[in-house]
Amino acid sequence: MNVIETKNISKLYKQADQEIRALDNVTINFKQGEFTAIVGPSGSGKTTFLNSIGGLDSPTKGQVLIDNKDITKLNSNQLIDFRLTNIGFVFQSYNLIPVLTAKENVEFIMLMQGASKSKRDKRALELLEAVGLKEQLNRRPNQLSGGQQQRVAVARALASKPKFILADEPTANLDSSSTANLLDIMSRLNEEERMTFIFSTHDQRVIDRANRIITLEDGKILSDINVK
Amino acid sequence: MLIKIAWRNVWRNKRRSFITIAAIFIAVFLAILMRSLQLGMYENMIKNVVGSFSGYVQIHSKGYWEDKNINNSFEVSESVLNSINKIEGVSNIIKRVQTGVLSSNNKLSKFLYVTGIEQEAEEKLTDWNKRLIDGTLLDDNGQSIIVAKGVAKYYDAKVGDSLIFIGQGYHGMQAVGIYPIQGVIDMKNPNLNNMSVFMSLKSAQDFVSAKNRITNLVIDKEQYFNEVKIAEKVKSKIDIQSRDVMTWKEMTPQLDQLIEADNAGGILIIIILYMIVGFGIFGTVLMMTQERLYEFGVLISIGMKKSKLMIILIYETIFLTFVGVLVGFVISWPIVNYFHYNPLKLFGAAADQLESAGFEPIIPFMNTYDIPLVHGFIIILISLITCIYPIIIISKLKPIKAMNR
Repeated sequence: MNVIETKNISKLYKQADQEIRALDNVTINFKQGEFTAIVGPSGSGKTTFLNSIGGLDSPTKGQVLIDNKDITKLNSNQLIDFRLTNIGFVFQSYNLIPVLTAKENVEFIMLMQGASKSKRDKRALELLEAVGLKEQLNRRPNQLSGGQQQRVAVARALASKPKFILADEPTANLDSSSTANLLDIMSRLNEEERMTFIFSTHDQRVIDRANRIITLEDGKILSDINVK
Repeated sequence: MLIKIAWRNVWRNKRRSFITIAAIFIAVFLAILMRSLQLGMYENMIKNVVGSFSGYVQIHSKGYWEDKNINNSFEVSESVLNSINKIEGVSNIIKRVQTGVLSSNNKLSKFLYVTGIEQEAEEKLTDWNKRLIDGTLLDDNGQSIIVAKGVAKYYDAKVGDSLIFIGQGYHGMQAVGIYPIQGVIDMKNPNLNNMSVFMSLKSAQDFVSAKNRITNLVIDKEQYFNEVKIAEKVKSKIDIQSRDVMTWKEMTPQLDQLIEADNAGGILIIIILYMIVGFGIFGTVLMMTQERLYEFGVLISIGMKKSKLMIILIYETIFLTFVGVLVGFVISWPIVNYFHYNPLKLFGAAADQLESAGFEPIIPFMNTYDIPLVHGFIIILISLITCIYPIIIISKLKPIKAMNR
């Protein structure tokens, strides 16, 4: 079953007097439980593609269907609600809320969804335990290492029980042991809970773990390989 | 959790928050002190001129105020007095007969105002015991008089000396009498000191042959009650076709105008103070918004509604302002109360100037809670107005653009 379908999406930017085609007629599907790495040189359109399927940016042309719903037709408020209930985000710079503790950061998303205090507590503890941060519940982001912050970000992304997780260069700021640790957690969640992960990355360690690798160049799909 | 986030965000940049809170504190502190001093001074002026003699509201016969003649006197029934007494805020009712006379002693003569009073009721308005500088107070059946100190000085008269009065009685009767001086009083007002003589109400009515008639019915009020509202209620209890009801502002418009003019200057200074603080708060809100646009973009990306983000920013601004207002109140209020109970005493030229205008040379601070409440509310309102800017910014914010900054 397809979780995400894109149909001929294109994204044009105007820079000075030049028109830049960041995505060019990209048509692609993602199935439940895939662990996909989107690779390509800088400027190939990886981030634009992730932003388009994440509802953060609207394509100039084409459709993005999530569970058969065309999200390009949604207005900005509907998109915020859509993202909250369907998509988990993991950013390169972690982007945790600096004034909240690890547990509060994970709870935050559920609070936005209107979950009760007891549900929030229970799920936040389960998720932080799953990412190995049970002992760091009450630490704020500035008291955590980069790897730990990114694991909190993964827990936060999972908190809303999304249909898929989009991760934009999630390991770019991490050392090798933190990267390995993070990928272990993501792989386990993918295998055990069939959570769909889509990464944009340059990192070979991430690419090595992926079961599907899509290469973009000049906004077009150069290759789409199932590796496992 | 939104409140928790807002509170913690306030303390993310402690130095900036402290500077903003300090600016708000100084504004509130100065505003409370300035207004307490100003309003306390006005209250004292009103108390001196109005509360000590004329009362806050008076009832006269129609036309008496324009032509202060004993023929414009009136009778007042007990039932009317009782109904006025029952009005909320009325503390005391005083009957007076006032008439102009030509007075003389030896070779000197002078125009004076003779006022017939009920000593007991009068003492509730004017602290006669404290003002009596020689002799004793009147009794209701006595035939003697109390003279103001300016009159005693003019005639070089002492207790036991007598003054002769010649005036016009009711309906053309002649009013003539000789009255021994029983006491000398300081009216704390140069005009009143130079023109006032007091006798019992009964003596005054006999003098002008106007038994049971009065010229002024003085109504005193309890503190913080509005005299205009009391006057309106009084009008509903009497025949307004034949009576005038006047407040002190109508009887002494020059004092009201003096206060209004001075008050306008004070308000102008406070407006300038608020503008400075308003821009200070706006500067902080501007920085708090601009430096966190990336963060706002992230929060919207992960599903936070813009309205909730706006609420957090409003909370942050209110917290900052509230702390400043609270500190301003906590520090200023003991000072205000101290000077309320221990008024500032003026000396030298300033004191002379006030005394010559008929005011006591002291400035008691006013300590009513509406002063800090009003100024605290104004500052919070200003801070809410400054929130319009981040609200506009957030409403137009596109997460991708914010995160690409």
